[in-house]
Amino acid sequence: MAMTETDKDLEAFFAAARDRRDDMPDGLAARMMDDADRIQQDHLVVTDPVRSRPCLWDQLQSLLGGWAGMGGLVAASAAGVWIGLAPPEFLPDPAGLVFQQQEDLELFQSFAFNDVTLEEQ
Amino acid sequence: MKDLPVISSVGPGDSETVTGLSDDTLLVMFAKGDRQAAAELTDRLGPRTYAVALRVLGNRAEAEDVAQEAMIRLWRMAPDWQQGQAKVSTWLYRVTLNLCLDIKRRKKPLDIDAVPEPEDSAPGPAERLQDEARHDALQVALMQLPDRQREAVVLRHIEELSNPKIAGIMDISVEAVESLTARGKRALAKALADRRAELGYGDD
Repeated sequence: MAMTETDKDLEAFFAAARDRRDDMPDGLAARMMDDADRIQQDHLVVTDPVRSRPCLWDQLQSLLGGWAGMGGLVAASAAGVWIGLAPPEFLPDPAGLVFQQQEDLELFQSFAFNDVTLEEQ
Repeated sequence: MKDLPVISSVGPGDSETVTGLSDDTLLVMFAKGDRQAAAELTDRLGPRTYAVALRVLGNRAEAEDVAQEAMIRLWRMAPDWQQGQAKVSTWLYRVTLNLCLDIKRRKKPLDIDAVPEPEDSAPGPAERLQDEARHDALQVALMQLPDRQREAVVLRHIEELSNPKIAGIMDISVEAVESLTARGKRALAKALADRRAELGYGDD
């Protein structure tokens, strides 16, 4: 369909407006970039700790003093277990105490059994 | 003292790298600290935002404020942008129109129909004067349209967007866009016809 004279007129107005649509006032683009820089910096400062947040293991390791602290803790734990199982002579033997209690119980039970046996005899 | 993250500095060759990238890719790059992405988005979208605001509001100072605020919202939204879900330009046009609407709502009723002053009365070549006159006449006529008609006409005939895209921006159907632009064009033609001889359009 052919453009009417009015359409052509109007199109000339639109074309004149389109010729100017890429013009921005002096300084506006610079202000937009200033905003972008500021907000970008804010984003990075806010998101950086989240981005680098340590995992649970790293947090635990840090809490216990790093590898050196962890090594000391492991050594102390191993020493504690060893002392518990095979104590030096001047320390009581917890394992032996436990076994002793069991033996006492068995001894008591065996006495009871012997009593009953003696009574029957 | 905690070190701030370094925003990437960009060499002269990098601008060519970003020009071929989509808007939403650039927005993600911006969120990750790429300054060149911000410069490219400003180049692409800044003029669009300002042009629409100027045509819809008919006021340079207000249009500058709206364009700057729309871009601020774009920068702030960048970390949450979901790639591929929408077009950045569509989002930005919508934000711009909403900001324009906010300004018009805040204005006194008497100011709603205010038209801008001629922008440049300085003497110059005859063709430039004619172009200026057309430019100003179009803006005066645009300001006489209802808001939605003016928005649709600006997006269709000055920004040259498709009807489906305008429908997405204005959140209306394509048929409604066609109706708004058709009625807007008729009203503009009527307003401008009276000034045709005065503007010397026939002398082109």
